[in-house]
Amino acid sequence: MPEAERTGRDPGAIPIRAGIGLRAPHCREIVESRPNIGWVEVHSENYFGDGGQPHRFLELIRADYPLSLHGVGLGLGSSDALNVDHLRKLARLIDRYEPALVSEHLCWSAAGGRHLNDLLPLPYTEEALAHTWHRIEEVQGILGRQILIENVSSYLQFRQSTIPEWEFLAEVSRRSGCALLLDVNNIYVNSVNHGFDPRAYLASVPAAAVQEIHLAGFDATGACLIDTHGAPVADAVWSLYREAIGCIGPRPTLIEWDTDIPPLEVLLSQASRAVQILEEAYAVAA
Amino acid sequence: MPSLPELQVAFARAVTERDESPWLRDLIVSDRGLDAQARIAVYRNNVLSNYRKALQAAYPVVLALVGEAFFNHACDAYALQQPSRSGDLNDFGGEFGDFLGGWSPAAQLMYLPDVARLEWAVEQVFHAADADGLDLHALALVPQEELRNLRFELHPASGIVCSPYPILRIWQVNQPGFSGSQTVEFHAGGDALLVIRRDATVELERLAAGELSLLRALAADHTLAQAHAQALEADPGLDLAALLQRHVLSGTLVAFRNGRGATV
Repeated sequence: MPEAERTGRDPGAIPIRAGIGLRAPHCREIVESRPNIGWVEVHSENYFGDGGQPHRFLELIRADYPLSLHGVGLGLGSSDALNVDHLRKLARLIDRYEPALVSEHLCWSAAGGRHLNDLLPLPYTEEALAHTWHRIEEVQGILGRQILIENVSSYLQFRQSTIPEWEFLAEVSRRSGCALLLDVNNIYVNSVNHGFDPRAYLASVPAAAVQEIHLAGFDATGACLIDTHGAPVADAVWSLYREAIGCIGPRPTLIEWDTDIPPLEVLLSQASRAVQILEEAYAVAA
Repeated sequence: MPSLPELQVAFARAVTERDESPWLRDLIVSDRGLDAQARIAVYRNNVLSNYRKALQAAYPVVLALVGEAFFNHACDAYALQQPSRSGDLNDFGGEFGDFLGGWSPAAQLMYLPDVARLEWAVEQVFHAADADGLDLHALALVPQEELRNLRFELHPASGIVCSPYPILRIWQVNQPGFSGSQTVEFHAGGDALLVIRRDATVELERLAAGELSLLRALAADHTLAQAHAQALEADPGLDLAALLQRHVLSGTLVAFRNGRGATV
């Protein structure tokens, strides 16, 4: 049931438009210039602090834009016990800002109490599947809401994997009841790094579960593609995005940029390009 | 076939300690010109780079003082000695000052650990809770004879950092946009600093000896009379009324409670 129906108040639902990842260097400019973007997304952990300027800006921005909270640190595929303290901070943030969407990644990030603070690839096995969907179910139970799970870029595959990544993703969603955040750039990066057809991936995604799409730029200077979020969205990824929209339908789409952060106008121009593709899809549907 | 926990522990060790079990390599697909070792190395680079970026963001002055290569070397050694224990990278780095104090390549930079401790305090204060100013009207209503029994609360976004080195000057000349001589006179003596967020910006203010004792005693939840006695030991000429007024009006002290425990 949509949040608005459940609570009887409008939480600022995410429109099917383009949004941008809100990063500290742009906050002041966004507050002052109120750019025409559909919504914003922040990294949850960057607001785990109690107060100060980050929250002051986010409160002002939240008053004008729908918000999505995107976590990078829960490590839902980690065998370590669920980090209850981390989850408590996330729950507090959800209470404070009433985001329309809350998302995390399909990955692991810590072992034996040591955090690698990275989005690490799982072996796609029945064991990992059972562990991960149970963990997601546990998190959704504690938070009292559905979360979105995002597919990650990867630079290796484990030999013991028995399930294709796209099937693993679909099964996690089907069993835990979580929604999906489809990162089209990550699908493209993995298709190049591991040699599969990204269209086959798209075709097996359960369209109804997808509530959000991510787009970002990768780095192609090394021996494999690295998902750096430090460049414009590649042409090949724009094409795949167009196909994804055709395949699963228009969805709220986020432009992410985390390293070598450019001026705000660069992000806004990337967002306009996504809007154009979304509008073309609507024109076709009409 | 290793279990999921065994695989993750072995992978974490391979990435952070460069200790790659041969069986772990055998578990990773080699293709497209990249073998298992090269693929693990991609993750090692990413993980170390995440740690380095986190510390560079928290310790810009240490970075400016020692340069990027030396800083990253220190960061890599720190990550081995004090592994990250949180899924929030903003928590990584709290022991960096202590680490630098015991790290032999930095032994000649005696001031470096205290500069790092100051930067961590600045970072903590930047993110700490907001607070309203102290209720001046309520304070004015406290009978004169009960003032001595009051306990004051310092702003949650505040901390005290002391060093035998001139860390304030070091910090100031390494701020972005600083112009002027970057010379630091090391014989100028040390600093006792109040790190505090007033409005949205973090400020560093030098504390005199008596003022330092007073604020430390109040932060330790001593009564005003006890704090006053300690401050007089540090500075027999201390003007309590003036100090108290200044720190109430400037927002260092944000609440008080009387001997019966009521908080205002």
